[in-house]
Amino acid sequence: MTISSLLSIDRKKITLMWFLVPISVYMVVFFLYPVLYNVFIGFFELKLGRTPVFNGLANYKEMLSDTQFLGSLVTTLIFVSASVSIEVTFGMLIAFLLNHENRLMEFIRTFILIPTVFTPLVAGLVWKSLYHPDLGIITYYMRKMGIDIGRGLIVERSLALGSIVVVDVWEWTPLMVIIILAGLKSLPTEPYEAARIDGAGELPIFFRITLPLLKPTLLVALLIRSLDALKVFDIIWAITGGGPGTSTTVANLRIYEVGMNHLRIGYAAALSNVLLIIGVVVGVFLIKFIYKNERL
Amino acid sequence: MKKRKVVFFVSVMFLVCVMVFAGGKKEQEVENTPAVEQALPYEGAVLHFAVMADQFSEYTKVLSEEFRKKTGADIRVDILGYVELMQKITQDFATGSAQYDLATMDIVWTGQFEQEGWTRDLTQWIERDKAEIDYDDIVPVLWVMGDWNGRQIGYPLSGYANSLIYRKDLFEDTAEKAAFKAKYGYELAVPNTMIQLGDIAEFFTRPNENMYGLVSNGARGPAVAQDWMEYMRGFGGQVLNSKEEVVVNSSQCIESLEFFVKMFDNWAPAGAIGYWWDDRESSYRTGQSIMQASWSIARAGYEDEAISLVAGKTGMAVTPRVEGQPAGYGVGGWGVSINSDTSEKNAEIAWEFIKFITGKEAQKEWMRNDGAPIRYSTLKDPELNKEMPWLGNILTVFEEGDGNYRPRVPEYSQIQDILGLRINQAITHELGVKEALDLAADEIKALY
Repeated sequence: MTISSLLSIDRKKITLMWFLVPISVYMVVFFLYPVLYNVFIGFFELKLGRTPVFNGLANYKEMLSDTQFLGSLVTTLIFVSASVSIEVTFGMLIAFLLNHENRLMEFIRTFILIPTVFTPLVAGLVWKSLYHPDLGIITYYMRKMGIDIGRGLIVERSLALGSIVVVDVWEWTPLMVIIILAGLKSLPTEPYEAARIDGAGELPIFFRITLPLLKPTLLVALLIRSLDALKVFDIIWAITGGGPGTSTTVANLRIYEVGMNHLRIGYAAALSNVLLIIGVVVGVFLIKFIYKNERL
Repeated sequence: MKKRKVVFFVSVMFLVCVMVFAGGKKEQEVENTPAVEQALPYEGAVLHFAVMADQFSEYTKVLSEEFRKKTGADIRVDILGYVELMQKITQDFATGSAQYDLATMDIVWTGQFEQEGWTRDLTQWIERDKAEIDYDDIVPVLWVMGDWNGRQIGYPLSGYANSLIYRKDLFEDTAEKAAFKAKYGYELAVPNTMIQLGDIAEFFTRPNENMYGLVSNGARGPAVAQDWMEYMRGFGGQVLNSKEEVVVNSSQCIESLEFFVKMFDNWAPAGAIGYWWDDRESSYRTGQSIMQASWSIARAGYEDEAISLVAGKTGMAVTPRVEGQPAGYGVGGWGVSINSDTSEKNAEIAWEFIKFITGKEAQKEWMRNDGAPIRYSTLKDPELNKEMPWLGNILTVFEEGDGNYRPRVPEYSQIQDILGLRINQAITHELGVKEALDLAADEIKALY
């Protein structure tokens, strides 16, 4: 009697399970191990080059009174809400505009992805020069048009985060367009034909047919961008470095400062675990919503 | 058709043969070269040198090539920005990965490097080769800055004098002089006191002409922290006193920060709040700003018409200070250190390289190629003084200088990080001056 027969697993299934070994090894080595190690060192006072000292929950306790980190979490949430909602809205609008088959649309669809291809750090540096308070072309024309931007878009506390959101929207809206466009292309044609025979107008068709059918695609787009936006670092690092003051200090930037400038790896790990939990909660919430929607 | 194909094929083959075998003689030369170089003492050795991206960086590559020809050792120069350099070498040193054998170090990192044991103590080597390096020819303040707890962690490489850079042409303009005297009741001259500095900054601030009196770094991080500390010093303030007590919220520091905030509010270009070093320098070199406190390493660049619109119009003087305050001018710069984890052989080669690039012979050319001085012989060299009349000013700053106004304690990086945020919050009015410094004081105290 073999183990497989004991476990009532047939030979074919065992063979198929072998195919899962490479991806399982990959997940353990490159995903599970780093996450578990990060959770583990979050319980230590670990300074780079020093012997780690177990300190239980002290890092998490410290975090609760770390106003800079808590403030950075708030900034992150504002950034995520603003950038993702604009990207999804714009993405949807542009996708509708591009959802026609002609040469011009084909051309635009090809080139619209260019901003997304940019490395975020490079995009950040390019925008930094455009936003430069004295020499930036955007600053120049905004002032010329009489728009009050104070000392400059990226040096005024009230404008800096908004300016970063603009860069993020510029970079990631094309991705939303492509995802939503793919969703639009896969929609069935029958409900539209039926609605038009019944004399429905374009707006009711949009709100009652297109939007509900597109909901799973929109949620997937929302999930991808929300999780990515939670991790934002590069463009802010390149454009403002977290300033002026703390106005653009997002959680990842604060974690980087703690880890790389203060070399407090244990505390930085604890902070990144908190960000990980927030990411997981957002992810699980959206995934549940997607499945619930699919069942409907 | 077939014939044409054959001709084409033969032509291509001929071209390929020409390209492949044309280098035959060269190859022979290359083969011969090692035989000559075998006599060199460090043939085959490869070392990695992390160098700060500053005016002098490119010339370190030239010097390393000269060293290779002389000794056979290949010193590979890796040029890195300030923050990148600091993070890369601290991670390298802390993890013992020995990616870099030697590195340039900001003198304010001395305490941390010594305490962590990241870099070698050069004291014994310096003692051994004292005559060869002509120890007394190197300005004493620069030796002090690389020393911590009696251990020489950094060897002087580039000495910087924090100086007042101003538009000489405008200061000498008769119409400007008359207008200034009419408004302020005294002669327009290089400012000695903070009050005079403020008056002149105000006088030359003319936003309609895109002209601003005084500029400083304002960007959050090391840029604003380091520039503010220069003004703090001028007002007689300190971050830590001689007993290492935190006094960053003293009345002098508050006064200096008030002056600093006033500068950004009234006399600096609008965007200065986001300025790093290169932005500040650009603002001066394009003629937008009239005065700045800056490191002497940038001085030669003002005369380079390729990058400066103010060539021939720049003056350099010691920085102003509040009346009654002793000189203690701001001294900074770069030392060079050897990684503790590098092998004995590489450490020995690194030491020879340090002696070579800081030697009297190399220093003169180093100065002519955007380097910064460390030796009396360089600073007093008649030829160099003719080419660079500002060397006398640098010597004054070095002789009456203070390298400790930016505290070289092991906690410096964190102190700078704290000040980088709190000072930026003050100049952007996110926090009041006292509130910002009180917070900074509490946070610095928490480090001890």
